[in-house]
Amino acid sequence: MSADVMPITKNTNSPAKAVDSPWKTAWRRFTKNRLAVIGFILIVFMFMFCFLGPLFSPYNLFDYNSKLKNLAPSSTYWLGTDKLGRDMLLRVMLAGRISLLVGLVATLITVIIGATLGALAGFYGKFVDTIIMRVADIFMALPSLPILIILGAVLSDLKVHPNIRIYYLMVIIGILNWTTLARLVRGQILTLREQEFMQATEALGLKDTRKIFKHLLPNTVPVIIVTATLSVAGAILSESALSFLGIGVVPPTPSWGNMISAANNLIDFRKRPWLWIPPGTCILITTVAINLIGDGLRDALDPKTKK
Amino acid sequence: MKQYIIRRLLQMIPTLIGISIIIFAISAMVPGDYITARANPNMSIEKQEQLRAIYGLDKPDYQRYFIWAGNMIKGNFGDSMQHKKPVTAVINTFVWNSFIIGFCSLILSWSIAIITGIFSAKFQYSLFDKIITLLVFICMSLPSFFIGLLLIKFLALDLKLFPVGGMTTAGLNGSGWIYIKDVIKHAFLPIMVLTMLSTGSLTRYFRTSMLEVIRQDYIRTARAKGLKERTVIFKHAFRNAMIPAITLLGFELPALFGGAMIMEQIFVWPGIGHVYLSSINMRDYPFMLGFTIFLAMLTLVGNLLADVLYGIADPRIRLK
Amino acid sequence: MTKKWSLTLVLVLALTMALSACGGNNKAANNEPAPTNSANTENTGETNTPAEPAGEEASGLIKAEDPSLSPALANNRKDTMIIGMTDPKGVFSPLFMETAYDYYVNYSIFNTLVAFKADGSYENSLAEKVDISEDGLKYTYHLKPGVTFSDGTPLTAKDYLFTMKLFHDATYDGESDVLSAHIVGGQEYHDGTASDISGIKVIDDNTVEITVSEYSALTPVDLGYVYILSEAYYGKDYKQGNLESVKALNSKPMGSGQYKLKSYTAGQEIVLEANENYFNGAPKIKNLIYKTTTDSTNLAMLESGETDMNEINVSEDNVEALKALGFMDINLLPNNGYGYIGFNHKLKKFQDQKVRQALTYGLNREDIVKGIYGPYADVINIPESKVSWAFTDENIETYDFDLEKAKALLDEAGWVVGADGIREKDGEKFKINFSATADNPVVEALLPIMTTNYKDLGIDIIAETLDFNAIIDKKTKGDFDMYFAAWGLTPDPDNTVYITNGAQNDTGYSNAKVDELMAKAKKEMDTEKRKVYYKEMYQEMNKDIPNIFLYQRNNMNAINARAQGFDISPYKDFPFSLYQVELQQ
Repeated sequence: MSADVMPITKNTNSPAKAVDSPWKTAWRRFTKNRLAVIGFILIVFMFMFCFLGPLFSPYNLFDYNSKLKNLAPSSTYWLGTDKLGRDMLLRVMLAGRISLLVGLVATLITVIIGATLGALAGFYGKFVDTIIMRVADIFMALPSLPILIILGAVLSDLKVHPNIRIYYLMVIIGILNWTTLARLVRGQILTLREQEFMQATEALGLKDTRKIFKHLLPNTVPVIIVTATLSVAGAILSESALSFLGIGVVPPTPSWGNMISAANNLIDFRKRPWLWIPPGTCILITTVAINLIGDGLRDALDPKTKK
Repeated sequence: MKQYIIRRLLQMIPTLIGISIIIFAISAMVPGDYITARANPNMSIEKQEQLRAIYGLDKPDYQRYFIWAGNMIKGNFGDSMQHKKPVTAVINTFVWNSFIIGFCSLILSWSIAIITGIFSAKFQYSLFDKIITLLVFICMSLPSFFIGLLLIKFLALDLKLFPVGGMTTAGLNGSGWIYIKDVIKHAFLPIMVLTMLSTGSLTRYFRTSMLEVIRQDYIRTARAKGLKERTVIFKHAFRNAMIPAITLLGFELPALFGGAMIMEQIFVWPGIGHVYLSSINMRDYPFMLGFTIFLAMLTLVGNLLADVLYGIADPRIRLK
Repeated sequence: MTKKWSLTLVLVLALTMALSACGGNNKAANNEPAPTNSANTENTGETNTPAEPAGEEASGLIKAEDPSLSPALANNRKDTMIIGMTDPKGVFSPLFMETAYDYYVNYSIFNTLVAFKADGSYENSLAEKVDISEDGLKYTYHLKPGVTFSDGTPLTAKDYLFTMKLFHDATYDGESDVLSAHIVGGQEYHDGTASDISGIKVIDDNTVEITVSEYSALTPVDLGYVYILSEAYYGKDYKQGNLESVKALNSKPMGSGQYKLKSYTAGQEIVLEANENYFNGAPKIKNLIYKTTTDSTNLAMLESGETDMNEINVSEDNVEALKALGFMDINLLPNNGYGYIGFNHKLKKFQDQKVRQALTYGLNREDIVKGIYGPYADVINIPESKVSWAFTDENIETYDFDLEKAKALLDEAGWVVGADGIREKDGEKFKINFSATADNPVVEALLPIMTTNYKDLGIDIIAETLDFNAIIDKKTKGDFDMYFAAWGLTPDPDNTVYITNGAQNDTGYSNAKVDELMAKAKKEMDTEKRKVYYKEMYQEMNKDIPNIFLYQRNNMNAINARAQGFDISPYKDFPFSLYQVELQQ
């Protein structure tokens, strides 16, 4: 299917351009990976669908009409209508604006915090490791629900506008999730640190930052990618629950998470698949796309693959 | 190694104290208390004050912390306000039910994830790999309550293979084997869903880890030496691929006892997760704090275990 | 699994809980817990919504079409009935019970001197006769002779005295507020300065005389609606000032009621057995099991026959699904509670009656309520259940949705549309921060509709959903504009929600006329006279709009038609009639 897993063959095919910077090489490799490009196109498509799509919709987010509730998909309402008679297609598109942002930004924050702290802990060990990992322990032990209730109350007391709260929400999801990745990265670095190539960097007298960010972290990219893919879907789904506590979006603003959760019983499940299949599919496409891009990135960044 | 473990155990003390302070501060900051959560329209102000005095909620926060922490050290978790029973008794009543399904799905999901992970990696981009990948993503794209309802609909209502919910048939007087069989029948669906949910992410991790290892030089060396593919995969690659898994295993310890809130709710499984959630909603502080501390201890022990296992699995790692 | 997943789990669960159950908040909100139903048909006459097929019965009993469709699994339980319910906590003691579900179990096991009737007034139960002195301060209860506890020991007036002592104990931390009944000597017993309650005199085994220092219309209920505990059983190790030994029996209840507890498995089931000595006659069904169920699958359990009865969240979908099963009797009755939107009366803009009226006219309450509940909830205009004896619709303005009228009222009040389309008065923009409790399905329709409506009025509304307790907290601090929540309703109309500085009055509402009428009605023993006071009070509230009253919904009990004989009404929960219920073979 694809050549990206067979470094040996790839090696012979790649034109040797030793002068390229690693990033340039990575970009070249990424664009040559067909699946990764498909993933990239999918994501671009989802963004266009969600950000440009609503401009072409004849409906309005604030329209509600009890006479039109729960209509099945038809030529007027391509994806049917919801419990208040609102157009599902428009809602799915608008929901994506929130959900895509929440999913991607929250994941980015998780990855940045988790990977950096995990790498520092694994690389320096000793005191640094103890501090970072004990902080991680504390974070893991804290019950998230009460914390979120407090945050919701505080945001409400500060009269933060609900439209701005989703930015807090992204940060909060990111902060609550970093520990898993930090421990995973740290574990890998503990192993990597002892490998021969690190002794080589030692011998070359490289700076710590260079050792960490150029030699160690790239080797942990695979585990970062997996965590990131898993967390995109997770963040999109948790957003809806956070809304309830006053942190996320507020109805009528839709999100994929709150749309699926609104169809939370066996009857909707059986009788009205149009209420949950579209948002579910959108999350699925986004997750798959992120995963494809992730795989492509991994292959592109992987130092073990020869240039 | 022994010294390392002792040091880590000693570190747990300040960590736990820190956790206890933060958790208590959280409980003090959360809006409302048990009396406001009950929202009784007829309760007079005098009665509310009287109840707060009995529960000790009228004292300043720092004082309440020391009273609570002092009791905890003595092993006295206090009484759950909702259940009117000692917190430890409530935990003991529910936690084992959670453990049963947690443990079964742990074993199942790890076995399945290891096998599918290895094969997905071995045959990367094969049809098998793609199907597994897609299934994993579908499971992740729907909220878990949805997957639970889906299975209830098909397996319990349409095919009538399993009961809709509960842990035993109501009014069943059987004991011994009959009882065990009944519980297995009821536990099947929740275990299945839990397994499906956790297998997904585990498979991804194992697959990646395996892919990484397969590309390593020593595997190429092993292949070059002419070792059988099976030996290469299972003996050399597998062992090294399992190292990241150790971290994940550490997370499993608190999860085993923490309960699976959604699944317990959907399948009416009498587990601790649901009890914990309602203690948060109802501001049942003694239970909420007690159980959080219990989980915190398990988290610390789980992470310590993971670190110790690292050292055993990869002797190059120097734990200091 | 991993931390990330556990976070997701917590969150999604919070969400499902929030959507489905009403937490414990509404259900356990009052002494007479919310879920109830009845065979008595009180037609609402309010069935005409566009989305709903005409002729739909919105309230009352819908009989099963074909009881023979009942699944074999259910039919095979010849002498056992299984009632599903959400979340009993296992506090089987009339002293300490708090949730509606524990109440149900306790109703089945214990008895009171007086019990509630369909309209919220009361009748004798264990009492045969009650004498009330002229001045309303002395109450003599004559107990029915020959009543025994389920262990065979006789129930006497001494047990009543004993029970009252427990309620007065200083360490009593249950919800009953017996001290507010002002029994002479009660406070002294509570404080430990007396070892007996001087105001309760046991005349003989079947007669007890109670003296109170001040009375209200509620006194007969305060004194009579008491579940009687056996002194011989509960009093063995009880010492004044220490209820531990009584609490220890929370999981081993023993009373005079229809059933006795056989076994309890936490989170799973409560198995009860008929009390052959029950004073109203031995129950016809030998075994009764309360099984724990959950909102998302309780209907499925009825369908599979795993349960015979359950309270199901009322919605058009659920009613339709139950009807489609064919073998379910569906009981629809008004819930003892109502949803409302509260104003912060301390804020100047809400102190103007016209503004409050405008905000009511300008909100399409009909669409909100019908959108969620269809015909199974009514828009209300006074805070009283339509089945209560105190209910009135005489001269009650219905505030039908009318944007123009609302705009006119706002103009009159001096709030005129500014350059940006937002109304303003004295330089202040009309802005509302609105918080809604998350645990109510109505929020789904309320927020979009309210936002749209108020924007049309020229009001800048910023809406959010919040945790229930966070809203209570905001109320207590006074830091809010408007919020949505629900109140429970007690059988007696007396409450402290709308009186000036009342214990439950967090909105700062104050209206001298309401205060006066509420106080008068509380001091009046004659129900007919009280009716007049309350009518006048509700008319005043209807005009003054202390809150925007939103809806009273129905409760729905679904009962497998093989069980017949329930007598349920809003104030008389199903457990009271259990002993009459028969299983058709």
